[in-house]
Amino acid sequence: MQPSSVVHSTIVIERSYPKPPERVFAALADPAKKRRWFAEAENQIVDEFEMEFRVGGIERLRYRLEGDVPVKGIPITSEARYQDIVPNQRVVAASTTSVGNHRISASLVTIELLPTENGTDLILTYQGAFFEGADGPQSREAGFRKLLDRLATELAR
Amino acid sequence: MSRHKITAERVFHALGDPTRRSIVERITEGPVSVSALAIPLDITLTAVVQHLQVLEDCGLVQTEKIGRVRTCRLKTTGFSILEQWIRDRRSTWERRLDRLGSLLAEPDEDQ
Repeated sequence: MQPSSVVHSTIVIERSYPKPPERVFAALADPAKKRRWFAEAENQIVDEFEMEFRVGGIERLRYRLEGDVPVKGIPITSEARYQDIVPNQRVVAASTTSVGNHRISASLVTIELLPTENGTDLILTYQGAFFEGADGPQSREAGFRKLLDRLATELAR
Repeated sequence: MSRHKITAERVFHALGDPTRRSIVERITEGPVSVSALAIPLDITLTAVVQHLQVLEDCGLVQTEKIGRVRTCRLKTTGFSILEQWIRDRRSTWERRLDRLGSLLAEPDEDQ
């Protein structure tokens, strides 16, 4: 059998925030707020960020990375369509990511908000299909694992 | 002291040795003289000096001679390199959620 050209990966990340679900949800729903944590980052130039926060609405982010990265300066586009929105509870979006003209991944991202005594637990589940040439979380994970393996080798000496 | 660029790989290599890790753990509590370091480790002074050289070369430790006593203390350079290395390997989404946390930590803007 030929090796598969698609790698599937699921990542679950949990965070606790000391703010009620309404506040966290507002940061997901309000374009100006979302731009600040989702799009804007160090070593990253945002060329476009727009979102229409409704089921079926599109969110589009175009940016370029600076600094010591292989994809430096190449436009990266991620485009998502909201699949489900329940205020203060969850947001589900299906998205694709392209580097230049090369599509590298398709994914489903589910963000759930659970009220707690002190605020909100956020659970993000990322289910992705990564195509050829993807520098996605799985290759990052592999890089991480390789270095941890090396560390383990060192520790075993 | 270090002639080469310090890389995360070198810091990991330095910390890969149990004796060197126990040296780092020891001086985390405060500066120690090289001879005092050698005693609980049960190794020769020469061996301690060699280990310290490796730790010094990758920015984890700094030694200084005061009078006749050589003292070693922790240096933050090596730790910063490890921190950066770990940060670089966090996924895009983890970094995004870190930033969401910072945004939520700001005073309520809509009041």
